[in-house]
Amino acid sequence: MEAPQYVAARVQRALAEDARTHELGIRVDIRGDQLFLRGQVDGAEQRERLGAVAHETAPALHLHNEIKIVDIVEPGEDEHLD
Amino acid sequence: MSTLTDLRIAAVGDVHLGEDSRGHYRKHLEGIEERADVLMLAGDLTRHGTLEEGRVVADEFRDLPVTVVAVLGNHDYHSDQQYEIASELRDAGVTVLDDDGAVLQCGETKLGVVGGKGFGGGFAGKSASEFGEREIKNFVAHTRHIAEAWKVALKEVQADHRLVLSHYSPIKETLEGEPPEIYPFLGSYLLAEAVDTAGADLFVHGHAHKGTEKGMTPGGIRVRNVALPVLGRAYGVYCLDDCD
Ligand SMILES: [Fe+2]
Ligand SMILES: [Fe+2]
Repeated sequence: MEAPQYVAARVQRALAEDARTHELGIRVDIRGDQLFLRGQVDGAEQRERLGAVAHETAPALHLHNEIKIVDIVEPGEDEHLD
Repeated sequence: MSTLTDLRIAAVGDVHLGEDSRGHYRKHLEGIEERADVLMLAGDLTRHGTLEEGRVVADEFRDLPVTVVAVLGNHDYHSDQQYEIASELRDAGVTVLDDDGAVLQCGETKLGVVGGKGFGGGFAGKSASEFGEREIKNFVAHTRHIAEAWKVALKEVQADHRLVLSHYSPIKETLEGEPPEIYPFLGSYLLAEAVDTAGADLFVHGHAHKGTEKGMTPGGIRVRNVALPVLGRAYGVYCLDDCD
């Protein structure tokens, strides 16, 4: 069986290099036959695409897509630099 | 209330707009003229660096009531269409810096902005150097050439305030939260050294999505990581001088 570190590295590379995603900041963890994706993106579509690319890259693993979606909130207070 | 010499700088990076993002960011820019005098875009404006995405970005930031200055990020270079993207942005009225500078007239105040994409290499004591294979030498020389260009541009700029706009980071502090193993791909101390030598009031960057907003160069210049995921808000606003 392939070492989980190599599988995780391959998934991470796929998320960065696949033209559908190009997402560099996603953490990939493998525990037994479970694959966890963690990080933040700005939309549900991107989260689903990341899940799809991860699943295609490691189809034998059970995928847990724990990526969070961050909402942009209105700008807050100014910071004064003096 | 603002006085005449106040300067309110709005900044954000890593908006990563895709073709499905048309209009998403624009709505957060409503009323920006009440909050800020200028808007700085710190690169990674697109996801894949395609011209189509560049057009989405140009439309999101077109005809704003404040001056917009941008640099590109590594994502904007991915499809080798960085020059086309930059000219789309320029056609939309955005000033795009590419290792050069511009002076903006903001009321009574002149703001000099210098910058570009920047690049990596790591931080003092733990950085790559121009030694060995050609590939490593090219990597480090790319950053060195950028830092030299910024130093020259900063010295030439005649303005009341000087700001550096970059995608990559000049310091480690604003990378905190990222895995330390990838710091050399997130920035370079050569950028900080150049800017400390020439002087500036503020250094704004993006790129490190999991980093930290606030830091300072060894020479005491304030650094702000304005990557959208770091800010968690549409943009940060930084006041120079005595505005309140
Ligand atoms: Fe980014
Ligand atoms: Fe980036």
